[in-house]
Amino acid sequence: MKKGILISPIILFFIILLVFFYLLIIDRNPSELPSMLINKKVPAFEAKLLLENKTFVSPGEFENETTLVNFFATWCKPCRDEHHYLRKLSDEKGLKIIGINYKDDSKRTIKWLEKLGNPFSSVLLDPNARLGIDWGVYGLPETFIVNSNGMIKYRLVGPITKRNYDAFVLKVKEVKK
Amino acid sequence: MQRILLAILVYLMMSQSIIINCYSVEPDEFLQNPKKELRARNISKNIRCLVCQNQSIDESSAPLAKDLRILIRIKIEQGNSDEEIYDFLTKRYGDFILLNPPLKISTLFLWILPFVFLAIGIFVIFLHNNKSKKLDYNK
Repeated sequence: MKKGILISPIILFFIILLVFFYLLIIDRNPSELPSMLINKKVPAFEAKLLLENKTFVSPGEFENETTLVNFFATWCKPCRDEHHYLRKLSDEKGLKIIGINYKDDSKRTIKWLEKLGNPFSSVLLDPNARLGIDWGVYGLPETFIVNSNGMIKYRLVGPITKRNYDAFVLKVKEVKK
Repeated sequence: MQRILLAILVYLMMSQSIIINCYSVEPDEFLQNPKKELRARNISKNIRCLVCQNQSIDESSAPLAKDLRILIRIKIEQGNSDEEIYDFLTKRYGDFILLNPPLKISTLFLWILPFVFLAIGIFVIFLHNNKSKKLDYNK
């Protein structure tokens, strides 16, 4: 009995050690937050467009087609790296990509898109981060996959890269089904 | 001597914690009405900055923290209650944005565990005391 009491803290210590070790080796990013909007309708909003003199009205524009919503800015370096993959995705059939230009300079964005190519079917302006807050954005870039019913199905925090591109395309196809 | 040094050390640590308590609210963000401004400050102190994740938006100088501070003030000016503002933010960013986690079934452990440990601690001290008392009588 006494021996058990003596040994129990050591056993407990090793169990805690094991738990910590497990959390250390699994592939996880503790600063990445789950989105609250998964399986919810896209937020309702109105926004001005960068390239046309029109107003974009949500959720009306999200119906009929699977849509990617990409928050980007010219001041964001990972967005530039990601751009190549967005262009690749824009070749995909039955997929629309909407860009939300987050707290940026419009002139600079137009130049940026001319230089790097424009994968977006429309570019929305978000000068005061209000759209970003509505979508729960906390760091650029972020990409949402919205299904043809206007329901948000997935969020990627951080850029689409060589490493996660295939997995991301798979997610898009899953949502399209 | 050691005690004096320890006291000085504790004093320094405490005073530093007071100095660290600085704020990032910029003058152009202030509301004219001091009562409303106070409400905005109190809400901001309870809202986590999602960029730094260990500071409130009241203390953080991250751009998102500033945007949220401004938004909270706009909402106050529009006549929203504190609850409505908290609700607005948690709907978009989850309970994680609150520095004080709400008491829910999923957070029950978080709230109860300290008291469980306190009880265990008291129990252990009590046990230990009893034992040493018995030893004293045996002498």
